[in-house]
Parts: sequence; structure tokens; C-alpha cells
Amino acid sequence: MRSLTALRMVIHDRASTAGALLGVVAIVFLVGQQLSILFGLLNYMSVLVDHSGADAWIMSRDVRNADAGFLISDRYVDRVVGLPEVAWAEPVLIGNGLFRTGDGSYESVRVVGSRRPRLAGGPWRFAQSNEDALLDLEAVTVDRLDLAKLGDPGLEAITEIGERRVRVRAVTDGARGFQGTLVFASLEKVREIARTPAGKASVILVRFRDGADAAAALARLRAIMPYASVSSTAELSRLTRLYYFTNTGIGGSFGFSTVIAVLIGVVIISLTMYTSVLSRTQDFAVMRAIGGRKWDIAVVVFGEALIITGVGLFVGFLMLAALLNATGNSSIPSHFPGAVPPILASVTLFVSLLGSIIALRTALKADPAAVFH
Amino acid sequence: MATLRLENIAKDFSDGRQIRRVLFPMDVALAPGQLVVIAGPSGSGKTTLLSIMGLVLRPSEGRLFLNDQDLTRLSDNQAADIRLQNYGFVFQQPMLIEGLSVMENVLLATAVQGGRPPAAARSKTMELLANLGLGESGHVQPRLLSGGMKQRASIARALVKDPAILLCDEPTSALDAESGQGVMGILKRIAIEDQRIVAVVSHDARVFPYADRLIKIENGRIVSDTREQYVRQ
Repeated sequence: MRSLTALRMVIHDRASTAGALLGVVAIVFLVGQQLSILFGLLNYMSVLVDHSGADAWIMSRDVRNADAGFLISDRYVDRVVGLPEVAWAEPVLIGNGLFRTGDGSYESVRVVGSRRPRLAGGPWRFAQSNEDALLDLEAVTVDRLDLAKLGDPGLEAITEIGERRVRVRAVTDGARGFQGTLVFASLEKVREIARTPAGKASVILVRFRDGADAAAALARLRAIMPYASVSSTAELSRLTRLYYFTNTGIGGSFGFSTVIAVLIGVVIISLTMYTSVLSRTQDFAVMRAIGGRKWDIAVVVFGEALIITGVGLFVGFLMLAALLNATGNSSIPSHFPGAVPPILASVTLFVSLLGSIIALRTALKADPAAVFH
Repeated sequence: MATLRLENIAKDFSDGRQIRRVLFPMDVALAPGQLVVIAGPSGSGKTTLLSIMGLVLRPSEGRLFLNDQDLTRLSDNQAADIRLQNYGFVFQQPMLIEGLSVMENVLLATAVQGGRPPAAARSKTMELLANLGLGESGHVQPRLLSGGMKQRASIARALVKDPAILLCDEPTSALDAESGQGVMGILKRIAIEDQRIVAVVSHDARVFPYADRLIKIENGRIVSDTREQYVRQ
């Protein structure tokens, strides 16, 4: 009967319910939207690492993120493939160049070169054509989301990157880096564009054989490559994300806006629930007089908070899903890992209950003696 | 049968600076089968006395017994349990909870400490509402009822648990004369036919003819305590 009473009060007190609902929805939607952009950006930060298909990355010493290594010798490949745990090792060259657009202007792009025929470290998802296109020496890819920025080059369009002739042979899907547009090409073409000396690579990607002990393999790689940094893909991904998160202000910025969103929600929930309870003080006094304990009043108030939170979570996640669906194929970075909704729901529930504490204190002060006059 | 006994009960209120005595030591015993009216001018202490009887206010002095069980030093939760099991209240305003239907308001009195109201309470509620002329209003929101109907619904809420004690605070003051007479008739019937303790606080002289016993209070003291025959005279 206490739950029913809470439900009836929530339905009857429409104005305050709508206010408290707004607070819950604000938390879910604003925080969820902030998190989806943050996770989208985190994905961008480590996009090359996460989609490399390798188990280990060999880069120059003391590397702090996947984008900040200097060149290493590509002869390390021969040393690495000699290990029994290694299935293959491939050099990858990463550089920068200026992409000449259709109207003659230039856009800065990050060029990633991989060795044929395996093309390890190359593109992973295509909107048009496929990776076979990169077997052509002058072929490059552009991403679907960067087409407008690059002047809408169609397939087979010929242009220049770093004053070197290239031909757009494929359009990738979702290949965007934190540092901007990603263009994939052959190792030789990137060496030309970035004017990299022969015999050098940015990274050597290593794939272990099936069933190999990854930790032991990494230890052996480190032992034979004392002048390089050897990281597992997961380690380098984490390192890269952490580097950008802490060194670019993104963490602080998103943390601050998330805290503000939560605070706004708490204030709205607190004020509206307080107002609602204040107008119900007499009802709570009646409940106390007819035999209700303070605990029973608390159950009703928390029941109201739970009902409002439940509905608010539903509405908030529905709005968030609509937003993510609408922005999923756009250039706005957005990603919402499956583990986030339960955590966000739990935090919202906690915050809602926190917001209802002021209301609860008021409700518990309802004096049963007040019902007499 | 239940008896409610107050021994040497007194009550002081403090405003933080000075203590003011609103009830001077008094003995009162209420027996079932009588409608007791506690009368007096505003500020005389009659509502304070009713609040102490109803365990919603603690006396500053004296002791309170229900069937020889000392209720004076109960904790908040113990007092709530006793109120739930033994008391029914009718307030000056009906104080029905908006949002709950009339029937739910009545049933709340049986399950305010949680759980579903027992099936017997549902049938009892319907019977009470029918007897009080609210048979068609069970699913109606209280705001749609007239003042008299609301007060009758609040009587149903007070009676649904079959309480041994029914305490009423100015139950007719917000009603027109006709509705007031109807309510007093119902309370009188409950006291006599159901053999309950019924105490009504009122300063409305139209209530006095219904009293089997009239306790008059002035300035915190009982100035007269008259029996049925005296009242009728």
C-alpha cells in the first residue's frame, strides 16, 4: 500500500513529478551524450592500434602514445619473425601530408602505409571498394566522413598528397583518427609522400601464432629488442588513450561538464521533490497519526523517487538512443559501450535518492500531532 | 472491553525561553459504549488532551493506560503500532490524501505499515462506505466529494480497522448543520451499538445533545464532567 501511495502521489502531483523527471532525464541524457562523445573521441585516439589486427606493436624507445614514435629500422622485422611464437611481422609507416582538394586547396591528412600483400595495419572497413584496391602502387583510401572536407573525390579521382600523385581507389568507413583524416596507402607510396628514408618504419606490427603465450612472447620480444618499445595492442591502446585524456584537457573538460550535468539534475530533483513533499506534509502527518512509522514515510518518499527515476531512466535512455542513432553515421564522434548504461543508471539512481534526501528530511518532520488543528 | 485511563496527566509547552502549562494535572477515564464530548473555548487545552489520548503527543507528567497497559513511555514506533491496532481518528478537516481514491484512502489505514490490505478489509471498506452513503463513491477522487461526504469517508477510514477507540477533533466544524448532524448521529451509533470508546472534541454547542458524557475544560483544567442524565436535562 505504501508503494501504491507513492505511485498515486507521483501521478497526482503532475507538476512536481514533471520537474523531477526533467532532472533525471537531464542527468541520463546530458551525461550519456557527454560520455558517448568522450568514448567516441577515445576510440579515435587509439583507432589505428585497436584495428591493427596485431598482438604487439614495436616502436621507438620510451614511446608515450601510438602517434609519437620516431622511425625505427625495418630490419627488426627479420629479427622478430625468427621467434617461434611469431606468426608474422609487418612494418607500417605513418606520416603526414597535404591532400590537394578539387578546388586546389589543401587539407592536412595522416597517411598510413602498409606492406603488400598482407596490408597489416591497413583499413578495416570499407564503404566503397575493398582492400585489394591498395595493391595498386598509387592507390589511396579516403574516409566516407571526410569526403566533403576533401572536396568529394570520387573513386578513381587523381590528386596529390605531399605533391605525389595518388589515385582514390577505395572509401573507408569510420577510419578517423584523433589527429584528423586518415588516408591509407601502400608502404612505398607513404614513404614517397612523407619523404621517409629507405629502411625505416614507424611501427612493426607483430602477430603471435595461435595458442602462443602472449605474455611470454612479449617478454622475448623485449629481450631481443632492448632499444625499442614493445607493447601489447591493449597496452598501447590504453597508453595512447590515457596520454590524450590527460594531456589534452579532454578529461578535465568532459569531467567538468559531466559533473555540471549531474549537479543540475540533483538540484532540479532536490527542489521539485522538496516542493512536492512540502505540499504533502499534511498527508504524511495523517499517515503518521493513523499508525505509520517514520520508516513507512521514508518508503513512500523513496518510492516516489524510485518511480520517477525509473520513468526518467526510460525516457532519458530513449532520447539518448535516438540521438546516438541519429549521429551514429555522422562525423560527430559517438560511441556508447554496453557497460555504460547500467553504470549510468546506477549513478542516476544514487543521485536521485541523494536528491530526495532533503525531501525525506522534510517528510520525516511531519508531526502526527499536527493533524489536530 | 477497552478502557482508556489518564492519571494525573499534565502538559507543558516551551517556546525555548519559557515553559507554559496548557494542561494541569487531571484524571480522566473513558469507557466504551458512550459518546464523550470534550468541550471548551479555543485554547482551553481540549485538543491537547485529545492528542495525548491519541498517543500523538507525550504528556509532560502523569501516565496513560489502555486496559492497564502503560502507554506513557512508548517509543515512536511502539506508539505507531498501538495507534494502528487500537485507534481511529476523525479530524477537523477530513484530510483525505489526494491522488488516492476514497476506497484507497480508507484501505491505507489498514496497511500504512506496508503490505497489501487484507481481503476482509476490502469488503469491510465497501460495507462501511455503503453504510455511510458512499457506496457509489469508492473509486472517486476525494476532491470530487462534498465536505460532508469527505468527512464520512474519513469516518470510514477511522472505522475500517474496528478500533477500540475513536477520537474525533471538531468533526462537524467544517460542515453545514445538516451534514454535522448526520456525522454526529453516526458517531453516536458507533459508540453505543459497537461499544467503542468515542471521544469528540468540540466547541460547537449543537454537538452537546449527542453526548452521553460532557467534559468541559477551561484554561487547562476540567471544570465539569457531567453524565448522561445531567446532559439530557
